[in-house]
This record gives sequence, C-alpha cells and structure tokens, in this order.
Amino acid sequence: MENKGLTIGHLFPDLLNMYGDKGNILALRNRLLWRGFSAEVIAFEKEEPIPFDKLDIVLLGGGDEKAQLLAGQRLQGQRKELLDYIEKGGVMLALCGGYEMLGRTVSQENETAMGLNILDICAEAGANRFIGNVVIQSAVTGEDTKIVGFENHSGRMNIGNYKPFGKVILGHGNNGEDGNCGVVYKNLIGTYLHGPLLPKNPHLTDYLLGQAFLQKYGEPVSLTPLADVAEKEAYDYAVNRFING
Amino acid sequence: MQIRLMLAVWACKLAIFGSRLLGKKGSSMPGQLAFKICPKVLKLLSQQVKKEIIVVCGTNGKTTTNNILSSFIKAQGYRVICNSVGANMLWGVCCAFAEKANLLGKLKADYACIEVDEASCVKVFPHMKPHLMVITNLFRDQLDRYGAIDQTADLLKRALAISPETKLLLNGDDPQVAQFGENTDRVCYYMGVDADAGMTKEDAQEGQLCMFCGAPLEYEYHHYSQLGKFTCPGCSFKRKPLDFRVTEVLMNEGLSFKLEHNGKTEKFAVNYRGFYNVYNIVLSYAAATLVMGEVPDYQKVLAAYKPQVGRMETFSINKPVILNMAKNPAGFNQAIATVSQDTKEKDILIAVNDKPSDGIDVSWLWDVDFERLLGGNVNRVVVSGMRADELMLRLKYAGFNEEQQIKCRTLKEAADAAVNGAGSVCYMLANYTAVFPLQEILKDMEGKSAHGE
Repeated sequence: MENKGLTIGHLFPDLLNMYGDKGNILALRNRLLWRGFSAEVIAFEKEEPIPFDKLDIVLLGGGDEKAQLLAGQRLQGQRKELLDYIEKGGVMLALCGGYEMLGRTVSQENETAMGLNILDICAEAGANRFIGNVVIQSAVTGEDTKIVGFENHSGRMNIGNYKPFGKVILGHGNNGEDGNCGVVYKNLIGTYLHGPLLPKNPHLTDYLLGQAFLQKYGEPVSLTPLADVAEKEAYDYAVNRFING
Repeated sequence: MQIRLMLAVWACKLAIFGSRLLGKKGSSMPGQLAFKICPKVLKLLSQQVKKEIIVVCGTNGKTTTNNILSSFIKAQGYRVICNSVGANMLWGVCCAFAEKANLLGKLKADYACIEVDEASCVKVFPHMKPHLMVITNLFRDQLDRYGAIDQTADLLKRALAISPETKLLLNGDDPQVAQFGENTDRVCYYMGVDADAGMTKEDAQEGQLCMFCGAPLEYEYHHYSQLGKFTCPGCSFKRKPLDFRVTEVLMNEGLSFKLEHNGKTEKFAVNYRGFYNVYNIVLSYAAATLVMGEVPDYQKVLAAYKPQVGRMETFSINKPVILNMAKNPAGFNQAIATVSQDTKEKDILIAVNDKPSDGIDVSWLWDVDFERLLGGNVNRVVVSGMRADELMLRLKYAGFNEEQQIKCRTLKEAADAAVNGAGSVCYMLANYTAVFPLQEILKDMEGKSAHGE
C-alpha cells in the first residue's frame, strides 16, 4: 500500500496555546499514525509565511486577548491565501479566539476589534463570561451525535445565515440565546469549544481526517475503525455526568 | 469598637473550635463571622503587629515560601502570626490573626507572615497593609476561576495601588512578576537564578509577550515556563540586576546552590526535591534577611522544616511514597521534572478532580508534558479522581501503553494499586481537592505498614 498521509499546520502555537490546543494536534496526528498513515505536523511561529497549498488540515487555536490580536495581525498579510484555502474546501478547525478571528469583528474586553473578515460572522463583547462544560448535538459528521467540550468566552457570536456546528444541549454556545454552537462553512469548523476538543470526540477527529483525505486524493480513503476504549470512556463520562447528572 | 473586636475574636475562636470538632479545617467561615460582627477586625488586629507584616503571593510556592519564612523568623525567637495551612483569602487571613489574639482582642506578635491568594490581595490590603510583599511567580492557573494571567496581574496592580508604601521582593526571572517593579518609585528587590541551570524547554511557556509593548520576549536561557533571563526586543524591559543572585544550582538527591547578596556568598545544601524549591527557599531567605537583617541559622531551619500536606511529602509504606500537590501546567511540569530526575524504577499515581476549587476546566491536562514521564523508568501509571477518564486518555496520547495504565474509581484503590507496583519508589501527583484525602489514606497505610499489617 502506498503510504498516504496528511500534513497538519498548527498556526502560532507560540501565541495561541492557552487551553490545551496541543491535544487536538495529538489526536489528529496519532489517529493517522495508529492506522499506518504518515503524519506531518508543522508549527508556524513568528512571522514566517504559511504555505496553505501544502497543508491538508489547519488548526487555529485560542489565546489571551493580546496574543489573539497579534495572531490576527500575522494572518492579515495572508488573508487571501487563507480565504482561498477555505473556499477550495481545505479542512480547518478554528477554536475560541481563532474562531472569532475569522469573522468581521473580534471581541476584546470592553471593546470590539477588526477580524480577518473571512466569514460574514461577528463577535461582540458580552457583559459576562460563559464558562462551563458544553454538550452539543451535531450532524456535521453525517451522523447525528453529541460532541462534548468546554467553553470560556465573553464574546457573543452571531453567525447570520451560516450553518451552526451544532445545537447546544448544555452550555451557552455562540451567544447563549439562539441555541447555536459554532459555525460550519465547507470544510471549516469554528467553535468556542476550546482546547482538547478532538481527543474526546474521535468521531469528529475522524471526520476531519476523512475530509482532508478526500480533498487531497480526490477520493475517500478508508479509515479502519480503532478500538477507542479510553476515548469512549472519557466521552461517555462527560456526556453521562453533564447531561444525565 | 473594643467590645465589637472582642466579640468578633470570641466568635471566631469559638467557630474555629466548633468546626474543628466537626473535623473541618475551620479556616474561612469563622473569619467571615468575625467580619460580620466587627468589620474592622482585621485592621485592628493587624495594626498590633509590632514589627513587620510580610505578604507572600503568587501562583505556585506561596505556602512553602511563607512557611519557611515564618520558620526563619521564629528561629530568632520572635512571635509570628502565620496562616500556615494555606487559608489565604480575606476570611482565612482574618482567622489567622483572631486565633492568636487573646480574649480582650490583644495580639502579641512581632511579625506576621501571611500568604494571600492573588485575587484576594485587593480585598485584604484595605484592612492590612504589608511592609513587604513577596511575589513568587504568575502562571496560568485555573482559567475558569482566575482568567488569563493579565487579569490576575491587573488585580495585583490594583492591590498595590492601595498600599503604596509596601516594598516588593520579586522573582526577577519571571517577567510577569518583574513587571511590578517597572515605572514605580516603590522599593523593589529582585532574586533570580543567574546561570543556565540546564533545564529543558517545556511546552507550557506562558507570558512570553512583553507586558509593555507586546513584542515576544527573547531569552538568553529558560529555567522553566516563562522564567529565565529575558529581554524585550521592542522596549527596555528586561531582567533586572539581581539583589539575591543564585548560581551553581545542582540537583541530585537534594538541592545545592550558592546565593550572593551584598557581596557575601552563602552556600545552601538541602534535602528538598525540585528546582522550583530554589525559588521558594531563596525568596523566604531574602524576605527574612530584608526584615531581620540576617538569618544566622538558616541551614538548621531548612533541615528541620517539615513540608505541608502534599509538598513532596514522603511516607514509608514498605518503600518511599512521595505525595505532591500539582494543580496547573507549571506545577505539574515541575513535579514531572522532579520525578524524572529519580532514576529508580517507579510507579506513579495521578489524581485529578474538577470541583470548583480545583477549576472545573481540565483542558490544561493537555498542556502538561506527561510525555516526559515516558523515559523516566516508569513501571505503572495509576489514574484516579473525578477526571480519571480524561487522564487515561491524556496518558494514552502521551504514549503509555494500555498494560501500564490502571484506572481506579476510588483514591484508596488507586493508592493500593500504585504502592503495590513493582517499582522501588512511588510518586503521587494530585490536584487540590484530591491531595488531602489522599494524604489521609497514605498516613493510614503508613501506620499499618509500620505495624506489619
């Protein structure tokens, strides 16, 4: 078998490293390696240009306000390349601060700053922070499933006419009002669910890997099921405790 | 006012007694009660301290630093108020004073050594103005409770503004702490480790952006996390010359280093584990030197110092069992670095709860460098606590194989599984609400093992 594989671009771990985003990289990489695929992770730091056309999955995480602004400035120079990547169906996961960055505006404490305006969505600063465990119902993977995570944000996101990533069962999601959590556009998922979202939601991880393979090779690549014992136990624990009390 | 103060002190003492009868630590509610009866209770009591009040603050190392400092001062024959069990919010601080006052509300104390939670300084300083404040470090900690480091730093700045006369003793290696010495007329002293101690670069590197101009800080060397010899390429912010300068740090079974101050060099050799203890020891020694002039018996005091619950606390249960509290990435990474230095075959227990006082967000587990344990001659890893499942998953992704990992629902089962492992030493890392019950379990096991059971 030819050794198929994916290249994962981790944007600015030097700035956006606040909530265990490393977990998402580990999940993507290991689930490739465990199946015998190759996996390359490239961390982009400082001002270096990002070759989006060489990447199969892009991860943009969250950081504190200053770091988020600085990351936005770094991306500003490559806005067009990033936009092309997303429009062509490139797989991307944008979390928390990274999620806000893609919209028209970014919420900062007591003020609103300009975003990259890649999606026509906007975040505004809210009066208080939404902090807590989150469970959403999402059909993004093609199957209607629950996804578990944690949110900690003061921004209120309005996604306009875009499709949400899921519907909130527990927690606040985009703004605590419309029941939406996150956004989906082509192969981009943006959400306030921060940090280690992927390890506990292996079905979501595999969906992203599948989409990236399809994008890269033009045809589906079969992903052998993994045992996922620890994954399922961590997922079940969160769902059972937070939903069923 | 005197009557109110007396009543408040009585109520507080009674409540402490009562809650201890009920088996509680009795450190916060009684203080709240005293405040209700006499809102000036802390002010009136703390004003009676004859010499100086020293406050110790910072994310990690507060309790150890404060308790060693208090031991240094007591060793010179002074009477010291100290909140030694770590009740470090407004009510807990009040309790420490009320407990030592007599029934007339009179306090006989020369010094007070008080650790205060970072977010509580702003509430404590209106009542009690310290002469000297020690800041150990500022790390990312329980983001759901404290928010980002910037917010904690802002709270500390507001607290300092309430007490303009307070002198500062700062960890000069930590830019997040050193920033408090910038743009101020306040008297500031700096301590730091002035040589590359050969620490490895870890993942949890926080606060690398300059607090003044936003440029990423540059380092000549890193000790751990954001601690090291830093310079900002964008402005004049950089590590200050060190008033208490540590060199020649060696870590084997214990710690040894040299400390230069005022042209004199003292040698330290202690039976403590963990590089971070260099900061705890030197900050307490420096604070004691600043308030008393000298600390003649420091070696003796350090040798006799008994660590608080779960600070590399050693039990003997047929083999050495070492319990350490770690509750944030910086603390865990330092604990893991310390565990890895021990080359013996070992079993490890990791217990993490997510109660409100632990922080309900466990995302930070993915920022901890558990991968580093892989090469550390580890036999068995037992996970427990409310988030045992998350830990199990984290360790799987760190590269441990399933045969090595054991998940136990109760801390007792976990302690048994870890102690019964084949290793010749056992390390247990637990976060805040897990460490206290685990300590009770280990004390019990130690007692039984001593009786040959």
